[in-house]
Amino acid sequence: MAEELQSVSEATNYFRKRKMELRKKGGKGKKKQKGVPFSEKRVKIDNKMKKLFEKRARDYNSDNEDDNDAEPAPVTRAKRTSYGKDKPKSYGKDKPKSYGKDKPTSYGRNKSTSYRKEEEDFDEEWADDGEEDLNEEIEISEDEDGQVQPGITKFIDGCNAFRLAFKKILKKSSSDDILGPVLSAHKNLVAEKLAEEDVERKVKGDAKREKHLIREKGHVKPANFLDAYEKSLIAVATKGASSILSAYVIQVNKAQHAQKGLNPSRAKDEKAIKKRRREVFFSELGKTPSQTTVSKAGASNSLEDDGPSWAPLRDNYMLTNPKLKDWDKNPDTTVEDDVRMPADSDSSDDE
Amino acid sequence: MGRFKNKNRKPFVKQIAKKTPTVDHVTGDKIPKSLVFSRGKIPGPLRQLQMDLRKLMLPYTALKLKESKRNNLKDFVSLANGMMVTHFLILSKTDSAAYLRVAKMKHGPTLTFKIHKYSLAADIAQSQLRPRCPPDLFKNPPLIVLSGFGTGEEHLKLTTFIFQNIFPAIDINTVKLSSCQRIVLLNYDKETKLIDFRHYSIRLQPVGVSRRIRKFVQNHQVPDLRSLQDVSDFVTKAGYGSESEGDDEAATVNLSSDIGRVNRASTKSAVKLQEIGPRMTLQLVKIEEGLCTGGLLFNEYGNVDAKKSENEEEDEQESDEEEMDIDE
Repeated sequence: MAEELQSVSEATNYFRKRKMELRKKGGKGKKKQKGVPFSEKRVKIDNKMKKLFEKRARDYNSDNEDDNDAEPAPVTRAKRTSYGKDKPKSYGKDKPKSYGKDKPTSYGRNKSTSYRKEEEDFDEEWADDGEEDLNEEIEISEDEDGQVQPGITKFIDGCNAFRLAFKKILKKSSSDDILGPVLSAHKNLVAEKLAEEDVERKVKGDAKREKHLIREKGHVKPANFLDAYEKSLIAVATKGASSILSAYVIQVNKAQHAQKGLNPSRAKDEKAIKKRRREVFFSELGKTPSQTTVSKAGASNSLEDDGPSWAPLRDNYMLTNPKLKDWDKNPDTTVEDDVRMPADSDSSDDE
Repeated sequence: MGRFKNKNRKPFVKQIAKKTPTVDHVTGDKIPKSLVFSRGKIPGPLRQLQMDLRKLMLPYTALKLKESKRNNLKDFVSLANGMMVTHFLILSKTDSAAYLRVAKMKHGPTLTFKIHKYSLAADIAQSQLRPRCPPDLFKNPPLIVLSGFGTGEEHLKLTTFIFQNIFPAIDINTVKLSSCQRIVLLNYDKETKLIDFRHYSIRLQPVGVSRRIRKFVQNHQVPDLRSLQDVSDFVTKAGYGSESEGDDEAATVNLSSDIGRVNRASTKSAVKLQEIGPRMTLQLVKIEEGLCTGGLLFNEYGNVDAKKSENEEEDEQESDEEEMDIDE
């Protein structure tokens, strides 16, 4: 960096030929150290091309520069335009110190890569538009040795201009914005963009909400308390449940009644109890044990024999419960069956 | 190779035989089994509802049934054939509402319900101060109570029948009272033609015992007697009069045997229900003859049930609003 900077200042100082010689020596050495591809490019340039470049450079304007060299041109042009035209803006955005750093590097790179021969013209042109400012600024900000280079004569003027400009900017940029210093035109744009984003977000949110609504359709969070309707439902269910349970209880009571007077802990009595229970159960079904055994004999072929000891029952049960076979013919008979059971048990209790 | 195969196979077969008895051990009734799954893409809450329904259908259902997009109804049918599944509960979703189809294997019929409103089990647990979920709550199938279906309409009769048979019928002689832990209520509202689907847990509480003593017996904890003058106050002083309101005759059971520590034999116990969800408000939309296909037996929107009327017998009348299917 420093070396290149040096070379820039030298370039403005000496005669062309000498400068070129110097550059050839020093520049090449540096280049070779830096990177191979650049040096290869340099070799390729022949006289014809050189002349063409020179000619183009002479009637230089910003458009032609593009044709001159493919790679570094955009960079330099951007730099230049920003310096020349939009001074305040660029100053506001970048730190002032960066000028000293950025500008010379790009400049130096240009020279070292393809401009090598015809940069004298360039130099002049550079100087035309705001170059003085640059160099002086460099000296202000970066030059360590503090020497005033012989080529730069308008140091004080430039400095003053820069100072004024910078002051102005500093005054201006005391911004109340969050976005920092923005040009007024830009400000509108930003506002527009923000508004647009807002609208976009709103639309997105709406879509999302709608989607969510569709997803959640029908989903109701229950209230923390039981309203009258829920209470009535619970009452109905309670009624149903208690009637089922009490039916069961009646049944069990009856069985217990049967085993009165027998001690269940004695093996003998246990057998008797079992027997009685069984009788009760059969009476429940409205059939005698002998009947069921008969029916078992008929049906046992279809079912496996390794059922429980009263396996015959289940065959019988299947036969008496035809609801699985023709459910659609008379669905209500089965309902009746279920309800009737406890009633039957009552009647059999008398036996 | 062969030996390895054998080793693998044997326990596998055994397990199936153990886990899924197709016939009730005691009564010999065929145990209805169900599959709960969804057709099409359903949103998260409905997926949750599906899970809740599976829990409700326990123990004779596939709790961890995995479905993929590619599965069509045929796959489920073939699976059901292998597993002796008798009922399908199919959830689906359109833009207007979610639908629940209850189908009987293999030849139908299929009832299609529109789900007007639903709440998940989680929602209901959230709404309760003390949600209750004892560990063996889902070990036994629920009882089912159908209420208000006795209007004599055929489609309601059919609905009654389907729902009665969706849970295994129990034999009142052999059932254990402790296995009756849950109850499913279907309440038909004549005016709105909506069916309220509720799922409660059953709890028995002794009647005529003060809350303090009940808690004392239940919890095994030393009661706080600081505020009392005498020990006898603990027994005699009445607590809050919050319970006993619902203790009319209908809601009590005379127990014949002990259940737990507090419900002793020959004491009166009150039946207490607490909702466990899910909660649904259904509307019977249509009934199809086949398994999700076939002619319409009933259609809510255009009445096409003329065909059905010939088949149905009309001599049967529901005795009252309540029909119960007693399950084991």
